[in-house]
Amino acid sequence: MTERRATARAFSRRRILTVPATMLPVAAIAACGAPDLLAPPPGPSPSVRTLRASITAEQSLVDAYQRILAAYPALAAMLHPFLSQHDEHLAQLKGRLVIPPHVKVTPLPSPSAPASPPASARAAITMLGDAERAAAAAQLGRLAAATPSLAQLLASIAASEATHAMALSSLNPAALNPAAG
Amino acid sequence: MARRARGRENAVGSAAITALQSVLAAENAAVYGYGLAGAQLSGGQFSAAQQDWTVHRMACAALSAMITERGAAPGAAAVAYRPPFPVTGAGAAVSLAAMLEDGVIRAYLGLVALDDQALRAFGAVRMQAAAIRAASWRGSTTAFPGLPASAL
Repeated sequence: MTERRATARAFSRRRILTVPATMLPVAAIAACGAPDLLAPPPGPSPSVRTLRASITAEQSLVDAYQRILAAYPALAAMLHPFLSQHDEHLAQLKGRLVIPPHVKVTPLPSPSAPASPPASARAAITMLGDAERAAAAAQLGRLAAATPSLAQLLASIAASEATHAMALSSLNPAALNPAAG
Repeated sequence: MARRARGRENAVGSAAITALQSVLAAENAAVYGYGLAGAQLSGGQFSAAQQDWTVHRMACAALSAMITERGAAPGAAAVAYRPPFPVTGAGAAVSLAAMLEDGVIRAYLGLVALDDQALRAFGAVRMQAAAIRAASWRGSTTAFPGLPASAL
């Protein structure tokens, strides 16, 4: 009897100790602002959103070059180095895009509807130069949300685009091929 | 806790100072190198070299001020820098100018990896200017200025 009472007392003391102990993790989780179990899966991180925005921008530059080359095939030799460097940019950016299976992302927006090609080869080159300059400036706006390594890639791509804008502004399509001007 | 936060602040500050010192070293090397290159150039190329030399000198002054503001002493320029090849003609001078700009681009790329957003933006803008100078000396553009092949 004495023994049973001792066991009962020990048991009840253990209960007193265990109940708050089991409550502790709940309190701790609430305090740390842990994710809600019933919340929908998180969206892509800011760095992934930044990467996707860069991919979209790069793709639209590639599309602009291709539209202009389709309209002015005589510019192919002049524009090819820039276009192939954009292909390299796009490949690097896409290579860094790894989306975990549980993260839901909306598909990349399709590039804006193709505008009609500029009226002359010179106007086409000016348009590409403006697009390169705008793309380089937009990359700078994305640096803050990028990881250090992505920021370096974006800054390097922006520097490449700035050199394209400079090189395009010194091209003279009329001198190369009068028919193209 | 406060001590840990201050430690982290110091670590961030020292990373910025180290990166700024690397940029200053590259800019100092460029100032010296453009002097060597300019001596072999004439006409428009000489004017371009002179203009770029001025840009790099001004950058040295600005960077020294940025380092001083952060409580560190700016690294001194070396008395002389050994060029990677003998600069004995206009062709070598032009190649040297392009290589100096490549060194400057790589140094500014170090600022872009910092957490300090102002330094990131500053580094990226300076990279563009240096890449434009490198491309005009070289007569061609590259896909990834400043990034080593190992980073791609």
